[in-house]
Amino acid sequence: MNFDYEQLRLLIQSWASAGHLPQALAYGFVVNALLAGLLIGPVLGGLGTLVVVKRFAFFSEAVGHAALTGVAIGILLGEPYTGPYGSLFGYCLLFGILLNYLRNRTGLAPDTLIGVFLSVSLAVGASLLLILAGRINIHILENVLFGSVLTVNGQDLAVLALVALLALSLALPLYNRIMLASFNPQLASVRGVAVKRLDYLFVLLVALVTVASVKVIGAILVGALLVIPAAAARLLSQSLKGFFWLSVAIATLSTLAGILLPVTLDLPIPSGAAIIIVAGIAFALAAIARGTLPHLKGNLG
Amino acid sequence: MTAAEALVATPISGPAIDFADISLDLGRTRILDRVEFQVRAGSVHALVGPNGGGKSSLIKTLLGQMPHQGELRLSWPDAPGTIGYVPQALEFDRGLPLTVDDFMAAMCQHRPAFLGLSRRHAPAIEQALARVGMLDKRKRRMGALSGGERQRVLLAQGLVPEAQLLVLDEPMSALDEPGVRVFERLLADWRQAGVTVLWIEHDLEAVGRLADQVTGLNRRVLFDDAPTRALTPERLLQLFSSHPRITGEATA
Repeated sequence: MNFDYEQLRLLIQSWASAGHLPQALAYGFVVNALLAGLLIGPVLGGLGTLVVVKRFAFFSEAVGHAALTGVAIGILLGEPYTGPYGSLFGYCLLFGILLNYLRNRTGLAPDTLIGVFLSVSLAVGASLLLILAGRINIHILENVLFGSVLTVNGQDLAVLALVALLALSLALPLYNRIMLASFNPQLASVRGVAVKRLDYLFVLLVALVTVASVKVIGAILVGALLVIPAAAARLLSQSLKGFFWLSVAIATLSTLAGILLPVTLDLPIPSGAAIIIVAGIAFALAAIARGTLPHLKGNLG
Repeated sequence: MTAAEALVATPISGPAIDFADISLDLGRTRILDRVEFQVRAGSVHALVGPNGGGKSSLIKTLLGQMPHQGELRLSWPDAPGTIGYVPQALEFDRGLPLTVDDFMAAMCQHRPAFLGLSRRHAPAIEQALARVGMLDKRKRRMGALSGGERQRVLLAQGLVPEAQLLVLDEPMSALDEPGVRVFERLLADWRQAGVTVLWIEHDLEAVGRLADQVTGLNRRVLFDDAPTRALTPERLLQLFSSHPRITGEATA
């Protein structure tokens, strides 16, 4: 399959060189990055609806920031600079599971607990990164923090494809149940939903998707793409159907636009930042539409 | 048709419930103290008592969500059937773009609710919404409904799939006049189908009118009788006083 993909990419590149496709597609890394965007955009947008329903936005941001520390640990342990997936995934997952465990055990409000975890994790991450700074090229850190389309390679694409497949096959059949568990845990368990286990599964999904997206969006901003598209979609939609598909559409379009715009306009902006700015513009437009369009206005419930 | 005639005329599909010596401690607080009573199969059994008296905890125990001491037995007439539960309220963001149909789909089917109702469950969901009089509002957002309308939707989800034991947690608290009539009709239907109904209620007038049996619970069972005999001023005074004395001993 890898070989087929190489051929497809070369074909796209040759068409672009011949002028049949946009000029930017003549570069292999752009094709790679766009494919990565097509994989993570829908997954982040779709999972984002659950993040918003479950009020897990702050949590996903925190897991995203945990990625920073994960990368630092990975590099310290000698994993490759360009893809320390082992430590990245291990640390994010540990972070999420421990957080969820303590939330169940301590009775502290989630935002308090996340506040504690987030700051400690960032402190550790920042310390490690500065220790490392003398040993590695600082541009690598920039890529890790804000994402870079230049470095997306075949391995990254394979990881992304695998994670996207896994997320789809877990989240789609369990979508209703994950939502139901947040509406009323007692009703959910009467209806046969394993509420606690499902919470952990959700944490796992968020961690997986976050880790897979770090390459393109960067550790600082990856959590935002789980929140902004869904938040914008929530402002515009009147039913779950609209909410879900709008969120998927906004996330996907923001990702693709954020990858393409800096390349075509020759702007020195990291892909992650560009993606989140586009998503932010979509959110602003949605908020304006909500405030001005008569059929959306005053629909606050 | 009276309740007694209905019981004779129809087969019983619901279970009998036996609460035998049920105690529950949370931390150092005793929530339930040797609770003992039976719910007759196919009857409408009301549970009354002050807030904090352990009604909701007893229901949690029944639904298997509280570790407890003592024995709780469900005796089904045939194979174990379905248990339906109607909670008092839902915790969700009022602005969530979730229509009544979306909510029912999320409750009743596996197919992701954003893909619409599944063909298998759509007729049952439609029928349930019709029974609670919410069919014309199925495209409305849950957050835009009134409290009474939302409570009707909660009742509707208790109808899919058809349950043989229904546990209702204050289903009438937000209902308006027509809503109360809807609820009374549902109770009559359940009675006719021989469904066992365990029902927490604050409205003692409604309990007196609609229940077959009523248990007064304030940590302990203070009475368990037919409503006409149970709901006397003395017993209610005792039930709703903060230090109920059932054995005559003075509490310090």
